[in-house]
Amino acid sequence: MIRDLPRRVLTALGLPAVLVAVWWVSSAHSTSFFWPPLSTIVRAFPQTWTADPLLHDVLPSLARLTAGYLAALAAGVTAGLAIGSSRTVRALCEPALEFFRAIPPPVLIPVIALFTGYTAWTAKVVTIALGCLWPILLNTVEGVRSMDEVLRDTARSYRLGRAATLTMVLRGASPRIVTGARQALSIGVILMVISELFGANRGLGAAIVQFQRGFAIPQMWTGIILLGLLGVTLSVLFRLVEHRTMAWYRGVRQAERGA
Amino acid sequence: MPRHPTVRLSALVAVVAVLVSACGSESDDAGSTASTGPTAVTVGVIPIVDVAPIYLGIKQGFFSAEGLNVSLQTAQGGAAIVPAVMSGQYQFGFSNATSLLLADSKGLPLKVVSSGVASTGEPGKDFGAVIVKADSPIKSAADLAGKRVAVNTLKNINTTTVNEVVRQAGGDPATISYVELPFPDIVSAVAKGDVDAGQVVEPFLTIATGQGDRQVVSNYAGTDPNLTIGMYFTSKEYAAKNPKVVAGFTAAMNKSMEYATAHPDEARAILSTYTKIDATVQQNLVLPKWPTTVDRDSVQLLTDLGTKDGLFSKQPDLDGLLP
Repeated sequence: MIRDLPRRVLTALGLPAVLVAVWWVSSAHSTSFFWPPLSTIVRAFPQTWTADPLLHDVLPSLARLTAGYLAALAAGVTAGLAIGSSRTVRALCEPALEFFRAIPPPVLIPVIALFTGYTAWTAKVVTIALGCLWPILLNTVEGVRSMDEVLRDTARSYRLGRAATLTMVLRGASPRIVTGARQALSIGVILMVISELFGANRGLGAAIVQFQRGFAIPQMWTGIILLGLLGVTLSVLFRLVEHRTMAWYRGVRQAERGA
Repeated sequence: MPRHPTVRLSALVAVVAVLVSACGSESDDAGSTASTGPTAVTVGVIPIVDVAPIYLGIKQGFFSAEGLNVSLQTAQGGAAIVPAVMSGQYQFGFSNATSLLLADSKGLPLKVVSSGVASTGEPGKDFGAVIVKADSPIKSAADLAGKRVAVNTLKNINTTTVNEVVRQAGGDPATISYVELPFPDIVSAVAKGDVDAGQVVEPFLTIATGQGDRQVVSNYAGTDPNLTIGMYFTSKEYAAKNPKVVAGFTAAMNKSMEYATAHPDEARAILSTYTKIDATVQQNLVLPKWPTTVDRDSVQLLTDLGTKDGLFSKQPDLDGLLP
């Protein structure tokens, strides 16, 4: 595993390096205002993202993302366990869930603002949470539903306590919960940006739009790159957490494969 | 195994091809001088009261008389129209003066071809103003200092002119915290108390005052009675290649604005063809001025105000930008 590391790092960085090189070369002599040379963008980066915007744009955005995401995770898993455990509740909820899932949160932003205020953090956190909720919730329901019936019956006949049963269900559903959580993370990043297009004066998304409006094109590109880098960082963090919490599942899978 | 390098190579080639084509050629002058028949031009406009003359002018045939077949494209704002004009997707566009100055200061080669819209110059009877709730403690422009004020675009004409009227009244504009909201939402954000005040233009001004809101200050008229607020422009490249088209557009635009000024009822009536305005609002709203010349001094003033507020990294070049 350890010996593999340099190779894995090289593989991971290979395509990005090629893409950056292609971008660099193909834009080197660009005279197009909206497609400046990558060298110009790179030079603008440290000047644009100094301590002040990092502190007042990027950090608040990330804080709102974290708050919304964790709220969605808590609500989604709790509701998902409840809905998934009972056939009746599931049948009752399914049409409504599908209805709400089909509504894209961006169209709700003005409506959410009407109830929670136009300029406060609440509207943005609620927007992010609402968007992240559905993949987590629906995957949790699926995860609980697809659990082995025999396992449930066994737990029942051994008269396992509530806590033990809950742990068992959570564990059984966790691969699907993780899948939902991963989908929700990318939706959360998108909504973090979109929520700031409306009624915000600071934030990463708001900053990118301001650059675009002010025709500060290299700066706008640096914002987009920063956003992408944040996305990569978040997904790496997610994998680390997944790696630790789901170690048992990897073990099961490997055993099943006979490795 | 021998297949793999080829697969990799072709994947790489595909990626390169996509990237190169994405950043390649930026303009092919669509709609430039054809041999005979009318020249097709596309104009990017914002669906607001300001651009009523161009709708009227097309209807009156002023553009076809100049050999132009105009189609209008509506966009959210000048920031979206400028790139489209630069890339040749639109031949002309409408934008507010400060956005054009911003674009010029960043080195975008734009050329104003006609005046567009201006303040009525009458405080309290202008087409843009700052509104507050009826019972708000804010009574004058000076009271706006230290408050939360909604504008439709941060760091643009509405912030610089509000800053200016606050400054004139003896307040410190640096203490205002601006929040960006679309015009319709500004009215409800003021009503809800999410913001202390909001800068709106017609028809939202009439809608807001109809709901009991109060005008605090006319930020355009208060800045300069002849304030030029919006203008029609093209790219320098298009202007150089198509002087005849540009001259025809300017002539037709001027006729349109004169006609709209002389026939305010028709100007009001045409609003319902491209906006969703309530009939009473349409009758009551304040129409802006549509002068045929750009008031250079007022554009200079907007440049100075923008400089004061730190909008421009480099001074805009008025001689190159204005007609």
